[in-house]
Amino acid sequence: MACHRVAGLPAGDHSDPVAPSSGSIPPPSGHGRGLSRRRFLAAASLGTLALTGCGTGFSLARGEGTGSVEGRLSFSLWAGDAELTVFQELADAWTRSSGVPVALNVVPFGELLTGVDAQLAGDRAPDLFRVTYQDIGLYAAGGALLDVTDRLPREVTQGFTDAFRQAVSQDGRLYGVPHHTDTSLVLYDVEAVQAAGLDPPTTLDEAWTWEEFTDAARRLPTRADQFPFAVNWQQAGAYRWLNWVAQNGGRLLDDDLTGPAVDSRAVREALVLTQGFFTEGLVPPTTSTKGSYADELFTTQTIGMVFAGDFLLPTIEPTLAEQGRQYGATFLPRAESAAADLGGNAVVATATSVNPEAAADFLAFLAGDEAQARFCEQAVVLPTRTALIERGLEYALRPDLMELYVEQATTISQDLVEQVTVPQFNAVNTSLVERLESAFLGNADAGEVLDGLADDIEGRLS
Amino acid sequence: MTTAATAAVTVRAPGTPEPGRRRRRGGEAPAAWALLAPNLLLFGLFLLLPLLATSWLSLYSSSGFGPREYVGADNYRELFADATFWRSALNTAVYAGLTVPVSLVLGLGVALAINRPMRGRGLLRAVYYLPYVISGVVVAVAGRWLFNENVGVVNRALRAIGLPGVAWQSEAVPAMAALVLISVWTKVGFAMVVYLAALQGVPAEYREAAATDGASRWQTLRHVVVPLLRPTTVFLVVLGVIESFQVFDVVYVLTGGGPGNATEMLVTYAYAEGFDARRQGYAAAIGVVTYLVVLALTAVWWRRQRGREVVS
Repeated sequence: MACHRVAGLPAGDHSDPVAPSSGSIPPPSGHGRGLSRRRFLAAASLGTLALTGCGTGFSLARGEGTGSVEGRLSFSLWAGDAELTVFQELADAWTRSSGVPVALNVVPFGELLTGVDAQLAGDRAPDLFRVTYQDIGLYAAGGALLDVTDRLPREVTQGFTDAFRQAVSQDGRLYGVPHHTDTSLVLYDVEAVQAAGLDPPTTLDEAWTWEEFTDAARRLPTRADQFPFAVNWQQAGAYRWLNWVAQNGGRLLDDDLTGPAVDSRAVREALVLTQGFFTEGLVPPTTSTKGSYADELFTTQTIGMVFAGDFLLPTIEPTLAEQGRQYGATFLPRAESAAADLGGNAVVATATSVNPEAAADFLAFLAGDEAQARFCEQAVVLPTRTALIERGLEYALRPDLMELYVEQATTISQDLVEQVTVPQFNAVNTSLVERLESAFLGNADAGEVLDGLADDIEGRLS
Repeated sequence: MTTAATAAVTVRAPGTPEPGRRRRRGGEAPAAWALLAPNLLLFGLFLLLPLLATSWLSLYSSSGFGPREYVGADNYRELFADATFWRSALNTAVYAGLTVPVSLVLGLGVALAINRPMRGRGLLRAVYYLPYVISGVVVAVAGRWLFNENVGVVNRALRAIGLPGVAWQSEAVPAMAALVLISVWTKVGFAMVVYLAALQGVPAEYREAAATDGASRWQTLRHVVVPLLRPTTVFLVVLGVIESFQVFDVVYVLTGGGPGNATEMLVTYAYAEGFDARRQGYAAAIGVVTYLVVLALTAVWWRRQRGREVVS
């Protein structure tokens, strides 16, 4: 690009800066500078030949690519190191039994769906891709996903808990498998908590109330550049703010999921409480909905407590171990009831896959008891299958904390799942990011914020 | 001259090429088209076609796949009533208004400083130009490392000397300042290179004449050199403004458009609507309006330059 701009300089402009001031017009290129038309044409021809030469070295990649082709499955996903290892292991295991190779196309989280959108538009979509529960509705409603209701064995589809089966369903049809889930807990720095004389709850029934949690946060010792805690509601995670709403008995969408339900005492109280975290200086101002991820600040000792998903443990654990710090976990605060966010991901097959049978078979394998157990144990995430939840898993990392995560996950309500999996939820989430940011950092009036949010939701859902 | 030849000359209309010349032109046309064809093909394929497709998409409600719904000018009506769009347009103008003059002044200063025989001149030129050729995302990541409000290098340095940290990420003015600072860092090198090239064309006699007349170095710069560099400055201003209207990577990585909408730019807003909210028709409408604004700015510059040449 830089070369293009330099080359785009008008010749008369930079080689003869005197010209305009002196009133003369720069001579046209090719005149009076020893560049005859013949020479120009010869030079241009050489340039064209050179470009042609360059062209011979460029060709579109042939062969595998990321699209769906017969004889193998292409699977686009994002994955951390631990996840990728076990995904590869499972894909290899399935290939050994089916004879069909699986090509994993690993891209960063933020780029996967943009790429899949483009591939869908260009009819070059992969056979399978990983997707959050919040995004699946959009693809299902757009006809992009393979309806696997009748393609998956009954023992597979019936093995999921109702909330997770709901998370991958639309109009009673199944559009993928709930591969795993995750949810949030409050992680705390043991030293900081002990210094404050706090005794974090160890059972769900004893979870801090909103008031108890806020008081505990106020007691945490902080230096000038430290804060008591941060919440994980940044960017695509803005929906996690709905935990506070659900804990207080409120809803974002009405019962039939066609309009806003934010004009309520429960939602207003949730907003006032969370807005207060910022105005009181309990959370770093950089952790608003457009800000930086909260877990980064926990590992840098900027905050004493952090709301964090279990999938972050493989990142947090080695960092804190290296620093010689200890951390523990407690349950999310509660109000009228406990409530937690629906995290985790599904795996879906595309409607344009030329290998629908193989894709469905791979999904069934991936979501089976043994494969899911293996994935969850190694990647430190939570299962969606009833049998695994009941039997318990042997996690590779911090099994003591994972027990709490499993217990917290029981508070993911079907009610909340239904709201965050409507087809338009990603657009609604974008509005949440904007409106909450104005409340948290702009200190906007809670009533005005909720009125604006209600208008946004009406527009998004229509 | 024969009578026939005289008649031929007589009947040829003014401006009509001589027969021989016409033949030569006819011979040149295929070669000219052959030379133009690759450029026209690339222009049509990668600029014109996407532009037309975007304009067409802006008339639809679309998530990017699945069925589209024709909505006519609804996206544009919504756009002009959208406070975030206007805020983004204002931010873009402020960003351009700050980065362009500051990078030009600094670029000129550096160019003047190294526009003389000195050791390491080539190295200095490369050092100043380097940020311009670094990927915008890399620059922005470096910016995050510098301007992180909690653990960034700048705030740590400030705290180390007893000063309070600056709210680079959570307050509007510092966030825009961080964006401008990091952008200026990348743009100075380009301005320097262009000014350096232009300074080679400033005749030494003019400076000598000014010195003979008793002008100081500052007066020579102010009244001789800078006016002679005007075409270069105009070129850099227009290019800088156009570039500012396209800014995306630095904003996306460094501030994400926040806090609030304090650093939301037209292109980042279009991206958010198109790929986060999946409202691609609306995002296309933002793109079309941005294109028209840039087109208008370019046309004004072009007409102004043309008028200046005609007057000359």
